[in-house]
Amino acid sequence: MSFFAEAGGHAGHGPELADPTAQLLITLLMAIPLAGFALSVILGRRLGSRPWVIAVPAIIATWLIAMFLVWQTLFVGAYGEYGITFTLYEWIPAGQFRVDANFLMDNLTAVMLIVVTTIGMLVHVYSIGYMSHDPSKWRFFAYLNLFMFSMLLLVLAGNYLLVFAAWELVGLSSYLLIGFWYHKRSAALANKKAFITNRVGDVGFALGIMALWTTVGTLNFTEVFTLIPEKVAGGELGPVLMAGICLLLFMGAMGKSAQFPLHVWLPDAMEGPTPVSALIHAATMVNAGVYLVARSSPVFAQSAGALLLIACLGAFTAILAASIALTQKDIKRVLAYSTLSQLGYMFLALGVGAWIPAIFHLVTHGFFKGLLFLGSGSVIHAVHEEQDMDRMGGLAGKIRITHLTMLIGTIAIAGIPPLAGFFSKDEILGETFKFGVYEQAFYVLFVVGMIVAGMTAFYMWRLMGKTFYGKSRVDPHVEPKIHESPWTMTLPLILLAIPSIGIGLALGWPLGDSTIKHWLEPVFHEAEVTLGRELPKVQLFGIDGILIVIAVSVATLGIVIAAALFGIGRKDGRSETVRSLTQRIPFGPALYRASFNRWYFDDLNHLLFVRFGGVVAESAAIFDRAVIDGIVNGTAKVTQGAGDRIRRIQTGKVQNYALGIAIGLIVISIVLLFVVTR
Amino acid sequence: MSLPETMPYTGWRWDDLVFLALAGVMLGSALLVVLSRNIIRSGLFMVLSFLGLAGIYALAGSPIVAAAQVLVYIGAISVLILFAVMLTQSKAGPAALVFQRQAWIAAIASVVLLGLIGASILLTDFPAAEALPTVHETREVAFLIFDANVFAFEVVSLLLLAAVVGGIFIARRDESADEEGA
Amino acid sequence: MSQSLDAYLLLAAGLFAIGTFGFLAKRNAIAMLMSIELMLNAVNLAIVAFALFTPSLGAQGSVIALFVMAVAAAEATVGLAIVIAIYRNRRTPLVDEYASMRE
Repeated sequence: MSFFAEAGGHAGHGPELADPTAQLLITLLMAIPLAGFALSVILGRRLGSRPWVIAVPAIIATWLIAMFLVWQTLFVGAYGEYGITFTLYEWIPAGQFRVDANFLMDNLTAVMLIVVTTIGMLVHVYSIGYMSHDPSKWRFFAYLNLFMFSMLLLVLAGNYLLVFAAWELVGLSSYLLIGFWYHKRSAALANKKAFITNRVGDVGFALGIMALWTTVGTLNFTEVFTLIPEKVAGGELGPVLMAGICLLLFMGAMGKSAQFPLHVWLPDAMEGPTPVSALIHAATMVNAGVYLVARSSPVFAQSAGALLLIACLGAFTAILAASIALTQKDIKRVLAYSTLSQLGYMFLALGVGAWIPAIFHLVTHGFFKGLLFLGSGSVIHAVHEEQDMDRMGGLAGKIRITHLTMLIGTIAIAGIPPLAGFFSKDEILGETFKFGVYEQAFYVLFVVGMIVAGMTAFYMWRLMGKTFYGKSRVDPHVEPKIHESPWTMTLPLILLAIPSIGIGLALGWPLGDSTIKHWLEPVFHEAEVTLGRELPKVQLFGIDGILIVIAVSVATLGIVIAAALFGIGRKDGRSETVRSLTQRIPFGPALYRASFNRWYFDDLNHLLFVRFGGVVAESAAIFDRAVIDGIVNGTAKVTQGAGDRIRRIQTGKVQNYALGIAIGLIVISIVLLFVVTR
Repeated sequence: MSLPETMPYTGWRWDDLVFLALAGVMLGSALLVVLSRNIIRSGLFMVLSFLGLAGIYALAGSPIVAAAQVLVYIGAISVLILFAVMLTQSKAGPAALVFQRQAWIAAIASVVLLGLIGASILLTDFPAAEALPTVHETREVAFLIFDANVFAFEVVSLLLLAAVVGGIFIARRDESADEEGA
Repeated sequence: MSQSLDAYLLLAAGLFAIGTFGFLAKRNAIAMLMSIELMLNAVNLAIVAFALFTPSLGAQGSVIALFVMAVAAAEATVGLAIVIAIYRNRRTPLVDEYASMRE
């Protein structure tokens, strides 16, 4: 019963202190993956061909505990509206600066736990099959467990500094996992790229945390969320400073969630093994930024300007990534850009103040994108590590389960009812449109969102068409060996397909009064009140109905066009059709090339940071060698010369030294006896 | 026939005479320890010096310390040293080279040190210096060791054990390194 | 004379100075150890003397002296073991030939 009692009493509402059982369970939730990591590292080599015997059961246990906690929180309501909190120990006791290792388990955390642990667990199971041929797979499973630990710490942490620590741990484990095949140069470069790009965002996040500390003197969520509004209301915190804090925090989110202009790392991160792509780039790590902004909603709600910027950046990232995804050849890259685009949606939602749809989309996206990534892994596995969609095609009949589950994922992400993506995407677009009453710019963002929805449907169906339908372009040597993946890989696909179909309906119905709304209302209540944006009642046969019809038609249109170009009916000559089509559009070929080359962002970065930065670094190096090294070496030379002369004193004979001691004693005694005491 | 209280002619007390004699023996043999050219002889003079010191302890009213002095120093340490001498002096160094080249400086330093310590002793006015010497009963000492200071006693016994084990470990013949023939 | 603290202390000082000289001047490692023993005994004598002239200390002085003896015995054991170990390596008990600390 430390400060929480005070804070709770002060605010009138707030998390309660966790009972011992809950404390134990939450601690175990993080301790088990950590122990799994430690054990896998220590015993890894001795486990031989089955290194997952520690890691996978550990995650299954974690999942069970998490599900129990979720059940208690969301369904039973055992932990109250505002969740529970407790302090494990005092983490940093440094004078005025005191930070506890405290944890917060509320409805938002519970929803995050569903996504993180479920997908994490399935990815672990899937990896058993996918990594079965890798000689150092024990390392892989150890890293996976470390990643799970980091991610769980991130969503359970009760203060910003602990989140930051988890944030860095997530960064570290993603670095390790992306570069898992470190002997591959592209993988080694990709993990560096991911790490460094993330670091740019982290600087902002760290500065944001420091700014929070200096303004409110605490980092605990519950306290920050009561103190910040007070300070703003009291006029101590101006709008500029407030926007600054928000944008610094958002910078961290931008790095982790790969928002423009820090988006460059995510597509390259596809160099990691496919389960990693599914885990990091679909289900967990990239969601961290969304989670951070959502968690900090009372802070962000204080700055409408910052939120507008977030919304615009989100929409821009969404359309930018979607336009790139249209032309990519690598199956995983299409999915990676699709992830970027969907994350853009989430930030768009956060920016317009549609907090609940943002988290809702995070959940549904986690499931269907996890499914799509794991499915693509299964495809890649089937065609012997081939990722180029130009060398696939006609796989539908050969890998039936993969095909069927990926089809479900595609329809879900395209936004066709009643699959999962439809509900969350529709809510985001709907709220964006309806909040246009408060901010005219939202209408523009709505239109952008609609266009992206159409593009999403198009490029996803393009992926399906190129991969599964039409004539086979698979390498003739590989062709006869195409096979369905083992059950450890297909089972997670099937298990992920079920929520991809149903979770939208389960959580998002009835519209406007959905389950997820009831769950998350307490968390975002304060932010909603601060922003003061009210949603009109849902009119299924009014504005909402029209919006749904528009959204579904746009998605259907995208699918139909893609099907016409790449789809089932066509046998061959499709690439010619596409080429002739692009040639007929003004600037078509140029745009195609630009999209294919990712709008030259990597080249821009190369020019800006590698070339130009290289020149700066080179001149700095010259200065360093001439001046700095000169000083250092000069000092060393003087020291060396002096030492060379002085070392003759050192005879190496003990008694010489002892004599020195005796003479020193005599001198000190003389001084004490005849100088000091006189 | 009983002796007079003080010595005739000089007026010294008898135990002063004993003290002087013992001090002379002790200092003299100590000097011989450091000046002797033969290491065995040094060791034997050390025994004599310790014996003198034991007598002084007895005179100073600490019979138990005197007894321990005889047991520990003369009985144990001296024997240990003599054994070490036997183990290491198979070919004694040239007799003329007993001292370091710095011996003269060492001698001067020692004398100066003695002077300084002596000066500080004489210049200091010890508050209890005039009190009569008291005799400590062994029984009292025993109570102090085994009752009040029993923990320290146990620690010391542990230290001794550690020293024995450590000594054996250090001095043990290293089988692998010794194969070239010791 | 045997009733004056100064006499005891001067005697201890003399013994200590002799020990110092031996430690600084002797070439033989064992002789150096003997000198150390002399110095330790000097200190012990000073302790006993102080205890003798400080009635409030009672028998504590003797106890301290006994403890010092025990520690001295431990020191002698380890010291001689080291000398023997070095002798085995260097084939000489003469300290001035142990000059590898120089480098």
